Amino acid sequence: MADTLLTNVTTGVVTELPFKTFDLNLVLYIVFIIVFAYVLNRLLGFVLTHISERMGWHRTTVTMVIPLLKLIVSVTALYYIIIAVIEPSLTQLIAFSGLFGAAVGFGLKDVFADIIGGIVIIFEKPYQIGDKVSIGGTYGEVKNIGIRSTRLQTPDDEQVSIPNVTVFSQPVTSGNAGDLAMMIVIDLYIHPESDAEMAMKILKEALVTSKYVIISKKYTYTVLLEDFPFYMRVRAKGYVNDLRLEFEFKSEVTRRAWSEFRKAGIRPPSFVPAAGDQGRLPGEVAA
Amino acid sequence: MAENPKEVSDRPVIGLEKELQEINEAVERFGDGVPAHIAIVSEPLGGRTTIANEIRRLYGERVTYLPLKFVMSPSSLPDFSASPGDIILIDNCRLLATRRIGGFDVLDAFLLALISSKKLFITTWNMYSWQYLSAVMNIEAYFSTVIVLARMDTPDLKQVIMSRYKPGEIRFINDGVAERSMFFSLVHKQVRLPLKGAEVSIPWIKLNFTLMLRRLPRKKRIQISIEDLIFEKINRISRGNPGVAVHLWEASLEDNVISLNAITETVYSINLDTSESFILTIILSMKSLQEDDLIAIVGSEMDIRRVLYRLVCEGLVRNDDGYYSIPAFALEPVAEYLKKTRRLW
Repeated sequence: MADTLLTNVTTGVVTELPFKTFDLNLVLYIVFIIVFAYVLNRLLGFVLTHISERMGWHRTTVTMVIPLLKLIVSVTALYYIIIAVIEPSLTQLIAFSGLFGAAVGFGLKDVFADIIGGIVIIFEKPYQIGDKVSIGGTYGEVKNIGIRSTRLQTPDDEQVSIPNVTVFSQPVTSGNAGDLAMMIVIDLYIHPESDAEMAMKILKEALVTSKYVIISKKYTYTVLLEDFPFYMRVRAKGYVNDLRLEFEFKSEVTRRAWSEFRKAGIRPPSFVPAAGDQGRLPGEVAA
Repeated sequence: MAENPKEVSDRPVIGLEKELQEINEAVERFGDGVPAHIAIVSEPLGGRTTIANEIRRLYGERVTYLPLKFVMSPSSLPDFSASPGDIILIDNCRLLATRRIGGFDVLDAFLLALISSKKLFITTWNMYSWQYLSAVMNIEAYFSTVIVLARMDTPDLKQVIMSRYKPGEIRFINDGVAERSMFFSLVHKQVRLPLKGAEVSIPWIKLNFTLMLRRLPRKKRIQISIEDLIFEKINRISRGNPGVAVHLWEASLEDNVISLNAITETVYSINLDTSESFILTIILSMKSLQEDDLIAIVGSEMDIRRVLYRLVCEGLVRNDDGYYSIPAFALEPVAEYLKKTRRLW
């Protein structure tokens, strides 16, 4: 019933629109606009990404405008295609856009949901190009925010495309929220009889002397100790100066700290908890 | 016998009068029994040695002068209580700490001695070393007076350089490029930030109205000397750093003759990896280091010989008899690059 009504209304509006005659010139013009918009989008992405890599501190400031510019180019191209085909008045254009959207929406609602998701991502900025994010359980660096999907590069160098509509249904975690620095948590487990104070001092110095660290009033660091029945956990929290180096940072601090631990007679615990089981007793099962 | 500290304002040291006045006030506060330790901070070649010499001259026998010459170990830290004067002037305090695990032990011992002592400590610090220690261990909390030596403007730089010569000893040559030069000059304004006590030095454009007036009809023209144009160019290239300006002056001067064309700027194109940037940061913060010091800092984390070779090839570091340092003309480009890549905070 609704489909019939929609078809009737659409047919009515469409027949009233001043369509141009389709000829080879018009087709070539439309193809030209599509190709031009595509090339311009690629060029914008390439140039701005290249510029952003040279901007140091302001890398993410540049990359955040890329999706917005791409959207503007796409919308402008669409506008030129529409007026090339139908030359509508403003009222007709609005009426046609609404009905066209509704009609296509029934058939391509997933695609349109992704596009709406893309627009929301561009304006609300839950993440930006260059951020380290976790979307629906996939972790990686945002390499591109397209009109339909977001592309992540995982730590294993895999490219994962995630539909933009996911932002409406899945939690999105951003490790740096547009900043180039990102907090890293480094946990080292030591034997309960080890010198905890010395371990904290060593881990602190391994952190603050790292070649990857950044420390300031904004990017602070801390070292914490927690005592468990079969081990002690020394935890360092600090910022890596470039989020792309998070794993190198973690690895370097861990390696240097353990090297000094050994010299200071600090031993690893006999029982080492598996990831996610910290604080649980041996044999205890997660709820 | 010590000189009267109040003479400071009557004996101007070029461009450092305000800083000497601050030191004088801190010394007077110390006389009242209040802890008044002083930290003098500047960029490399920024005038710390000049101010340290002036302090020694002003306070005479009251001062025990301890210039640190190498990276300190816990056993090489002197016994400050045995010093004869009531003022201890320690130059090159950057050598009290190194960026490695265990590299802060000497500094911790020094700061403990400082807060336990009845004497007045005047210390000089490399700015980049100071900024690092400030971020890592809030070192400024130990000093009631922190004096950051500002960059100099053209008149001060001119005075610093020309004070080394007799009147008329230097000839300034107009080689024809003066006409199109220097419609503006770079000055360094000291600005006190709101909600943040510290003053910062910001580069500021100052229009040279006198030079613009030269474009007026002949009758209204005002003459600007080639001498001023030359010092303006030296200031622009050295970014107000007196030590770099002196180096540039000496490199451009030939047989006591200097021209605008003879003053050339060295351009650096810097692109380094993390290890190279890290080593460059260390050398910039420590002024000069031996290879062994660098090996002690990085351990087995990197191939230090390869990194140093690359830095020397790029002209960013030079090797003077085993001591690695950054050439004067590369100081500013290196600092800018390291700030941009977040190695200097």
